[in-house]
Amino acid sequence: MGENLNSVLVIGGGIAGIQSSLDLANRGLKVELVEKKPCIGGRMAQLDKTFPTNDCSMCILAPKLAECFRHPNITLHTLSEIIDVSGEIGNFNVKVLKHPRYIKEDVCINCGICVEKCPMRVDDEFDVYLRKRRAIYIYYLQGVPSIMAIDPEKCLYLTKEACRICEKVCEREAIDFEQKDNEIDLKVSSIIVATGYDQFDPSVIPTLGYHRIQNIVTGLEFERLICASGPFQGHLTRLSDHNVVKKLAFINCVGSRDIKHNPYCSSVCCMYTTKEAMVAYEHDNEIQSFVFYIDLRAGGKGFQKYLKRGEEDYGINYIKGKVANIIEDENKNPIIIYEDINDLKVKKLAVDFVVLATTMIPKEDAPQLAKILEIELDQYNFFKGDPYSPLESSREGIYLCGACRGPMDIPNSVIDASGAAGIAAEAAVRR
Amino acid sequence: MSFKPKILGFLCNWCSYAGADLAGVSRIQYPPNIRVVRVMCSGRVDPLFVFDGLLAGLDGVIIMGCHPGDCHYIDGNYEEKNKTDLLIKALEKISLADRFRLEWVSASEGVRYAQIVSEFTEQIKNVGPSPLSGDNPNSKLKEDVEAMKRAFGDIRLRTLVGVERRVTESGNEYNLKIPLERYEGELKDALQSEFIRNKIMIKLEQEPLSVKDLSKLLEIEPSEILQHIVTLKAKNLVDFDRIDEITPYYSAL
Amino acid sequence: MEEEIRVGVFICHCGTNIGGFLDISALVEYTDTLSNVVFTQENMYTCSEVGLTQIKENIKEHNLNRVVVASCTPRTHEPLFRETCREAGLNPYLFEMANIRDQCSWVHMKETEEATEKAKDLIKMAVAKASRLRPLENYQVEINQSGLIIGGGIAGMTAALNLANQGFKVILIEKEPELGGLVRFLNKIYPTHENASKILEIRELIKSHSKIKIITSAVPIKVDGFIGNYTVSIKKRNEIYDINTGIIIVATGAQPLKPIGLFMYNGTSIINQLELEQRLKEGKVNAQNIIMIQCVGSRIEERKYCSNICCMIAIKNAMLIKELNPDVNLIILFRDIQTQGVIYEAYYRKAREQGIVFIKYNPEKPPVVKKHTIEVYNEYLNQNMNIPYDLVVLSTPLIANEDAEELAKMLKVPLDENHFFLEAHVKLRPVDFATDGIFVCGSAHWPVDIPESIIQGYAAASRASTILSKDILEVEGAIAKVNKELCVGCGICIKICPYNAITKDEEGLAEIMEAVCKGCGLCGATCPEKAITNLHFTTEQIISQIFACGGR
Repeated sequence: MGENLNSVLVIGGGIAGIQSSLDLANRGLKVELVEKKPCIGGRMAQLDKTFPTNDCSMCILAPKLAECFRHPNITLHTLSEIIDVSGEIGNFNVKVLKHPRYIKEDVCINCGICVEKCPMRVDDEFDVYLRKRRAIYIYYLQGVPSIMAIDPEKCLYLTKEACRICEKVCEREAIDFEQKDNEIDLKVSSIIVATGYDQFDPSVIPTLGYHRIQNIVTGLEFERLICASGPFQGHLTRLSDHNVVKKLAFINCVGSRDIKHNPYCSSVCCMYTTKEAMVAYEHDNEIQSFVFYIDLRAGGKGFQKYLKRGEEDYGINYIKGKVANIIEDENKNPIIIYEDINDLKVKKLAVDFVVLATTMIPKEDAPQLAKILEIELDQYNFFKGDPYSPLESSREGIYLCGACRGPMDIPNSVIDASGAAGIAAEAAVRR
Repeated sequence: MSFKPKILGFLCNWCSYAGADLAGVSRIQYPPNIRVVRVMCSGRVDPLFVFDGLLAGLDGVIIMGCHPGDCHYIDGNYEEKNKTDLLIKALEKISLADRFRLEWVSASEGVRYAQIVSEFTEQIKNVGPSPLSGDNPNSKLKEDVEAMKRAFGDIRLRTLVGVERRVTESGNEYNLKIPLERYEGELKDALQSEFIRNKIMIKLEQEPLSVKDLSKLLEIEPSEILQHIVTLKAKNLVDFDRIDEITPYYSAL
Repeated sequence: MEEEIRVGVFICHCGTNIGGFLDISALVEYTDTLSNVVFTQENMYTCSEVGLTQIKENIKEHNLNRVVVASCTPRTHEPLFRETCREAGLNPYLFEMANIRDQCSWVHMKETEEATEKAKDLIKMAVAKASRLRPLENYQVEINQSGLIIGGGIAGMTAALNLANQGFKVILIEKEPELGGLVRFLNKIYPTHENASKILEIRELIKSHSKIKIITSAVPIKVDGFIGNYTVSIKKRNEIYDINTGIIIVATGAQPLKPIGLFMYNGTSIINQLELEQRLKEGKVNAQNIIMIQCVGSRIEERKYCSNICCMIAIKNAMLIKELNPDVNLIILFRDIQTQGVIYEAYYRKAREQGIVFIKYNPEKPPVVKKHTIEVYNEYLNQNMNIPYDLVVLSTPLIANEDAEELAKMLKVPLDENHFFLEAHVKLRPVDFATDGIFVCGSAHWPVDIPESIIQGYAAASRASTILSKDILEVEGAIAKVNKELCVGCGICIKICPYNAITKDEEGLAEIMEAVCKGCGLCGATCPEKAITNLHFTTEQIISQIFACGGR
């Protein structure tokens, strides 16, 4: 077969990056998987359940994480980022900057004693700032690699040369404050970009009351609230008074299809608001949910069936109409003011809790990465692919997959990822 | 000394065992009464294991698998549910149903795992020590459990359960789909007759008995006993032993 | 099994994680009393270099032929310890773990006495099972490193070219006399209005590729075998011949519904989108008042799904017509506009800016096509409208091919309720079938457009290449085995296996295809004759665990 064991660089350890890596590794190629965070898993690890099957996100992700970690052909570089790329297809030279974890990776057994003793409380990014973690932490409980990391911006020792309690209590002597940034040089035949997305911040739409009204959250925050391993252990309660939620509203297209913010459609919100309403109902079958939409976009496999189930079995009320304004009454109940297209009337609906389905936007550092890779972005900063072969970027040998090239759901991200692996494999083997 | 239940748990590798591990990682505390047997899929758990567990003197048995639709082996948990549905009916007949449970626990439900174990332990505490445990196990109940175990080990019930999903969902060899309710009715009848038949067999293995004897021992109408004897004789499992005056005695072969 | 069972047990402190809660010396003392245990040792960290070395040394020194480690969870550490056993010359399947940390010391921190008692039971159970473990070998399956692709449309061709470029031999079979699928009938494609013929240029690459063999006017009629070793009989005109292949990719596409009986369809003044494409290709669209109706034959009781691409197709054709003739009145009657994402939403916006009118209709009050007008209830204006037309274009869904069912039966793969092929898992394995070695891509799986078909073609090829790249596939040894003395050939196991891993041999008895079995255990638990053994989780082993912890 003439197997030249070329390497492929995969940037991003979310579901797309992981799937690409596994396909390439199982194909016999070597993979350098570079992930910015201390653990792989990406957004999918933050979700509770996923449509259209409503299966537990972590349950289906975990085996892939474990496989990735153990695969002899995959080298995992966590806490790492790309700082330079030169060369061409078949022969790229990549410089990777690996940030220190301050933990000896083959010694830490994730026993958790250090976390218990660390005095610093830090906003937990994985739980979308809904709870606090410590300065020494594991990114999330089921994270892979299951090794601690120290946040250099919050650690008392690394910022003020005080404390060092973790070092004292670690029986394995796994703490190593001497670790420094490390540059690694890699030679790869092709590169796959799988860096994912960020969430649009709806506080720039003041009429929708985000951050002004306590009982309004974004879709991702809702996922963490309803997740069994999240800050409330899956018991949904109002943020203002911790009362139960009986009336729940979902607003689609927050920031999307909106010329003032993001003119494009975020693809997945119609499906995920239905999913979140279903999950809320499963937790409490007295919950009544309302979904405000412009068009109900459900063209994927099994999607129409899913929406119908939502309507018939879970009692979800779908209201076609844009929401103009959300205000609050004296009990901190959000009141939604909207136009009901069915009878062209402006109406009010008081609810207990509101979820804003915000746009999937490109990662903030996408332009920076695009510059390093010398590939084009579209006008919104998504990585730009060829219109008829969307996985191919503007530079030969660099391929795109997943939400970094446009809003997309998990099934499509996985297909994308396998597709990109196919093209990368072709590139690796032919050279 | 207060009763400390001993509970046997079958956990599937991909979901419930992972959920139990997560409870551990999260340090969620629960009572120490459960003893876990790890299997790859809840579908591996033959109902016979549950009977073995009860006969071994365990106070409760619980099977935990993936939520429907999440099974790592696609539909292993659906098959397991069919088996346990029949098992529960069997245990109800012999008043042991409150010592058994089937639950779905996913890999991210550490809290739920701990909750279920706590609840089930509490349930078993309330039900009390198993009558099959200790130095003086209840012999009548033991016979009943033996009879049920044989019924579940025999070809008739295993076949009926094995084809249930296919026959009620897609159709049998003649492309006829049997409505679930009707099938469950057939299954219930088969369960009852296999149970009685095996109880009769156990008695006849101990000593030769007449229909009247059996009717008194098992508290079942003589006509029903006779029907079963006829079937068992046709299958060459029992035969005449002797005739006392006009009363025939049968024994197991 | 005649040899003496010699079990070595290693009890881990895991620092204070276990040692701080359980009475390790009591556990060691207890373990020494268990039958078959010839050696017991406690370690600080069994998984450390030191701990692993101790395991290896003690296996050799004490002639251990079974190893039990009482520590954390097998889900993370079993592979490591198995490898350690292998390095010491012991078959890796002769190893068992007792989880006395994640499921004991960590969760019973305030009941340490009872936790220690529980740990004793767990160790006893592990020793009982270990004593009954048998050495197992991983199976080697030879792989035929070539692929067969059924369907020569854009998805199939993309997959074929990718696999061939990766160096694998590919046979591409196509039902029609020429390659290209539905794209042959298209005029221009969205989003850039490129000529459809440009997409078909891939045909030249395929025809000239040395590793691709094309067989047109051919259909499969029989499929035998398993992953890496399929034999597919195909029929071309009157000839039948066999193809041996390692993997199969299904890329048979779909057909646009002909809306006969719907909305007064007549094929002349009331046509479907494919017919419009043909007319546009020939330059024969002269109508001045065109109305398009969406969701014709889809999202209805008889066909509940949304075909995903019809909105974009309608908008594309509308825009093309408007470009040629800006004065044409173009109205699209829709229920929901499916233009997800960045590019498609912008396309929709552009269409509106071009003056195409979009009117929402309610499925409960569908448009009524009359002789010269369409009556529709406009949801936005809350009033009935009568719109004149000289051409009506009905947007119909892609429906599954009529022969999909036959092909599905041949391959023993499932179809969903709409007769599209059903993948193994909609998220984890979207282009795989549960049956190993068979894949699906393109509209055979679900209605998709050209860019998506191309992506799926690459994806299926990539998945297939993970198998084709190996000349030997190693399969885990913990699978099922049939005792042919007990099997009566009832076939229940065959139908119940989620992976179609069981077939009938020449005598009609069940036979497990080792390459395909995943070791789930369903067959063993179901077999009426109890003729199936599930290796490494045998009934004997499980019962020994039950009796080890039972009794009081």
